[in-house]
Amino acid sequence: MYLPDFNFHQPDTVQKALDLLEENPDAALMAGGTDLLVEMKKGLRLHGNIVSLAKIPEMKLITQDEKNLYIGACSTHSEVIASSLVGEIAPALVEATTKIGSEQVRNTGTIGGNICTAASCCDTAPILLAMHAFVEIANAGNKRMLPLSEFFTFNKKTILGKGDLVIRFIIPKPESGTGACYEKFGLREAGSISVVSVAVSVKISDGIISDACIVIGAVAPTPKISEQATNMLKGKNVQELAEGMPLLEEVGDAAVRDSIPIGDIRGGAQYRRDVLKVMTKRAIVRAIGNTEIGN
Amino acid sequence: MKQLINITVNGNEYEVAVKATMTLLDLLRDELKLTGTKKGCELGDCGACTVIMDGLAVNSCLVLAVEAAGKKVETIEGLADGAKLHPIQRAFIEKGAIQCGYCTPGMIMRTKNIFDQNPNPTKQEIQAELSGNLCRCTGYTKIIEAVETARDYLNGVEPPVLEFMPQKSAIDLSVVGRRLPKIDSPDKATGRAVYTDDISLPNMIYGKLLLSNVAHAKIISIDTSKAKALPGVKVVLTGADVPDIRWGTSPPRYDETILAKDKVRFVGDVVAAVAAIDEETCYRALELIKVEYEELPAVFDPMEAMADGAPRLFDHKYENNINTHVDHHFGDIDKGFAEADHIREHRFVGNRTYQNPMEPHCSIAEWDRNGRVTLHTSTQVVHYVHHQISHILGVPLGDIRVIMTNCGGGFGAKAATTTIEVMSIFLSRIAGCAVKMRFSREEMYLFGRGRHKQYIDLKIGVKKDGTITAVKQKAVLEGGAYSSFGIVSTYYAGSMLTTLYKFPNYKYDGFRVNTNLPPCGAFRGHGCPHPRFAFESLLTMIADDLGMDSIDIRMKNAMTPEYRTCNDLDIHSCEFSACMEEVRKKSRWDEKKGKLPPGRGIGIGCGGFVSGAGYPIYRSKFPHSSATIKVVEDGTRAILFIGDADIGQGSDTVLSMAACEAMGISYDRISVVSADSDLTPIGFGAYSSRVTLMGGNASKMAGEEIKKQVLATAAEMMKVDADRLDAKENKIFMKDDPSISIPWEEAGFGHFSKKGPLLGKGHYSPPEGLGGTYKGAAVGTSPAYSFSATVCEVEVDMETGKVKVLNFWDAHDCGTAVNPMLVEGQAEGAVLMGMSEVLFENEVFDKKGKIVNADLHNYLIATTADMPEIHSAIVDSYEPNGPYGAKEVGEGATLPILGAIANAVADAIGTRVFELPITPQRVLEAIQKKNLTP
Repeated sequence: MYLPDFNFHQPDTVQKALDLLEENPDAALMAGGTDLLVEMKKGLRLHGNIVSLAKIPEMKLITQDEKNLYIGACSTHSEVIASSLVGEIAPALVEATTKIGSEQVRNTGTIGGNICTAASCCDTAPILLAMHAFVEIANAGNKRMLPLSEFFTFNKKTILGKGDLVIRFIIPKPESGTGACYEKFGLREAGSISVVSVAVSVKISDGIISDACIVIGAVAPTPKISEQATNMLKGKNVQELAEGMPLLEEVGDAAVRDSIPIGDIRGGAQYRRDVLKVMTKRAIVRAIGNTEIGN
Repeated sequence: MKQLINITVNGNEYEVAVKATMTLLDLLRDELKLTGTKKGCELGDCGACTVIMDGLAVNSCLVLAVEAAGKKVETIEGLADGAKLHPIQRAFIEKGAIQCGYCTPGMIMRTKNIFDQNPNPTKQEIQAELSGNLCRCTGYTKIIEAVETARDYLNGVEPPVLEFMPQKSAIDLSVVGRRLPKIDSPDKATGRAVYTDDISLPNMIYGKLLLSNVAHAKIISIDTSKAKALPGVKVVLTGADVPDIRWGTSPPRYDETILAKDKVRFVGDVVAAVAAIDEETCYRALELIKVEYEELPAVFDPMEAMADGAPRLFDHKYENNINTHVDHHFGDIDKGFAEADHIREHRFVGNRTYQNPMEPHCSIAEWDRNGRVTLHTSTQVVHYVHHQISHILGVPLGDIRVIMTNCGGGFGAKAATTTIEVMSIFLSRIAGCAVKMRFSREEMYLFGRGRHKQYIDLKIGVKKDGTITAVKQKAVLEGGAYSSFGIVSTYYAGSMLTTLYKFPNYKYDGFRVNTNLPPCGAFRGHGCPHPRFAFESLLTMIADDLGMDSIDIRMKNAMTPEYRTCNDLDIHSCEFSACMEEVRKKSRWDEKKGKLPPGRGIGIGCGGFVSGAGYPIYRSKFPHSSATIKVVEDGTRAILFIGDADIGQGSDTVLSMAACEAMGISYDRISVVSADSDLTPIGFGAYSSRVTLMGGNASKMAGEEIKKQVLATAAEMMKVDADRLDAKENKIFMKDDPSISIPWEEAGFGHFSKKGPLLGKGHYSPPEGLGGTYKGAAVGTSPAYSFSATVCEVEVDMETGKVKVLNFWDAHDCGTAVNPMLVEGQAEGAVLMGMSEVLFENEVFDKKGKIVNADLHNYLIATTADMPEIHSAIVDSYEPNGPYGAKEVGEGATLPILGAIANAVADAIGTRVFELPITPQRVLEAIQKKNLTP
């Protein structure tokens, strides 16, 4: 096993990184390298140039303003977990991030890498989607921002074009009464790939779900918002959503209707549907529970 | 193009020129010669290469050296303070947390990093935090114990003292029966232990194999011209360049070629070999070899392969692809079933699993100018490699030296000669220099030799009171493309069903079928775990049918000492019932069985194994184990030379302990040299759980020979009759008045001064004529048999089918435990490996026969986060054929696990899964099916 030859670039500003991308059309961007190097060692990818993003300070910033939490794309998973800002504003993102790989992987892998690899089973996307996150993308000469929900196009495919570089993620601060959580179903207690994952965020006003988002992972070509399940939740009384209530079953079924799972070595398609329903129900109950903590 | 980087490693500053593609791991190992950091998977899945970089644990295989520029790196070599071990290293040694040692450096560095961030982690936190470091030997139990102990040391807290009662058979012994640290553990804890891949010989080059990418094809042509022209390439070999002979594992089934001659039979079959100045050049050369194949229809399912008209792997043998057929009938099966009041039968299906030792196979061959070859290799069986190389090269054993280095685990994956052992020798002979070859993790799976997948149709008849009257088993073993150990596996699958429970009537039909998949071989428990899983499952089903308790039905039929089974296996010591009573009590079985809430379950499984095969793999009159001991001139130390192989299980330690006991010296006065064909006398190595009994007897005999000579000299010195003297704990004393004594070393020194070298030799062969006279009667014979019982408690998520194993209570009859700490280590390792196989493991192939999960990312093995509580116990027992009463535990301890989990899951969900692995999907489907049934 070996890494095929490449030229290595380690810019220290976003602008230099963008310049390098322009100069080297075949360049691959590398954040932590925990996916890229594996794929290159396996011979699945070949690049003449690697542009490392690890030395760009602004891509590692975790900050906030009145409205938003900002997480630099090259923040490692461990940095996200350790950040008191993230812990305070988006505890469910911390929860999801702790479920990625091992400590060694979390110490090198980054949130930007996790998102840009765009695996349908990726652990950070569902909760970021549920929290209505945005992604900021730089290109030579411009910066643009778009909802993360528009970012994924297929398994391991994104809207990113030539010269695009994801700079940071923008997470609107949850309003009061909001709760969120991430449920992951893997085959092993640690270091396993999600067979099914569900992220839920709910906002409760006067006992009614005033806003919600249910995101399903590993059951479609991309992590996706289950529109049917989300819509079914909105306007409902939380008491109807207690464990064992029929509405919960219906929402679970709605999430399943929005899924298009495949069967693979981790589980068959029907099994994924069965587990998706269970995880959806559990995530809703827990997300509602988490609002009380938030309040 | 290289670039210059500065890096600080263990406080030392280095300026090194590196290629951009070099990983931090290769920088440490190849450039800085810090080989303590290990290469296990190269893909960030196993944690063996864990180092601390700027205060954070990282997998150094996934960090580019250029990215480590300017950083501070800590490796295992920097942990100890000079000669003073770090408390973590001390704790790992004391607690028995080190077996093969290959995961140890990464595990210790990860532990150090945990403490850097949290000086006082709880046990649960440790289990979560260590989950990125895989270990295949220990079952993690002793590792977690060691980490907790280290935490206490570092916090100035005295760790709890373990209460230890020796077994009855060890009360009068002074070395055997003690919990002593492994003899090799200080080296393994510090990164000093040398594994084959850590060796770099002068002028050494590298070799790689071209593996078939099609499952079944004729080779039309091979064009190596471009590969040969690549700068740096030294040798390229194809089937045309090597002798046209067949080799393998079992002589009646030698069916592998050195390199494919005209045909390939699975994805992974060896087509060509290349040697070049480095591995990268080898890989580039392999890509330049053009092979033209004419693809043939392939067959992957054993049932399809057996059908008339199926594609044949071998044109002139193995009709219907049946590689081995066993047809055994003992007693009268029809009469037995006629006598039964209740008969039940079912099909059970096993899984195709891979041993996954943490250390990938590695071999280095070098020919000297006198035409003699030396092979350093990571093997379990130096002698069989020696013998096989002699067969292949057509030269006597004396022309070959095989040296086993430290071996990072085997479990059967290294129990026979490998393609890299053979090819490194051929490449090296032509290249005229040393050639190193190693498998990547993927190549390990492709070389195969893992557990056969078995389809078992089992039928058991019993009387109303549970007495077994008849057993009928048909097993179909999916064998892969070549024979490997398969003929033996097929016999074992049948023969070993008879050792736990008494039944007079037994019929066994075994078929091993060739398929176009990697060859299967011997994996811990060799052929027996799947039939045992079927038997233990069906016996519990029958007990339930009869309204009988699952342990009661087992006690009713349990084996007793000095019994000859229906297939002529002679059981001597047997404390099987004591094992069951122990786990019944410890698990509080009677309070739990049938009384747990839905989703919780408890189940029992039992097992046992041979303490060494009664006959060798090829016909030979050699002793199975032999030992020599040389006492150093001044009498202060003995060196044990033993042919058997320590693959992490601890045989160097156990055999040293037996030798010490026999000589009358303490454990700190012995060193050991093992498994080097020039230095050590023949030993068949580490397979069939043979080393404790056979190597132990040889070591004991050699020690006794030393003692006899020392006592004779001492008698002259003390002017008394030698038969009035004895030796113990470094003293030679009068039996009737122990206060009259001289130091052992004085007598040893005296002996050397007067009579020359003080040498002892010992050897062991099993008693002649073991077993019956029918065809295949040899397989299953042994001087002694182990017994064990395990109760398992599980919790099942009834909505997802996910099984969480909470507890195992296991008890073992291993005779006298030579070193109880090591016995526990074997038992805990076997329990966790068995659990991992049952819950997670399965090799999966695509429609073209290519394995899709040949890594540790998609082929999951259990982590620290998955480990249950394991409560192991050793019962009092004494085996007359064993050294100081000892017999095996390493493989027998695996056998109860499969059935115990299956039975516990069945108890929890009210229905049963009949196919391994017991995945959440299979559990949920079983629950759903039950709910649909009115």
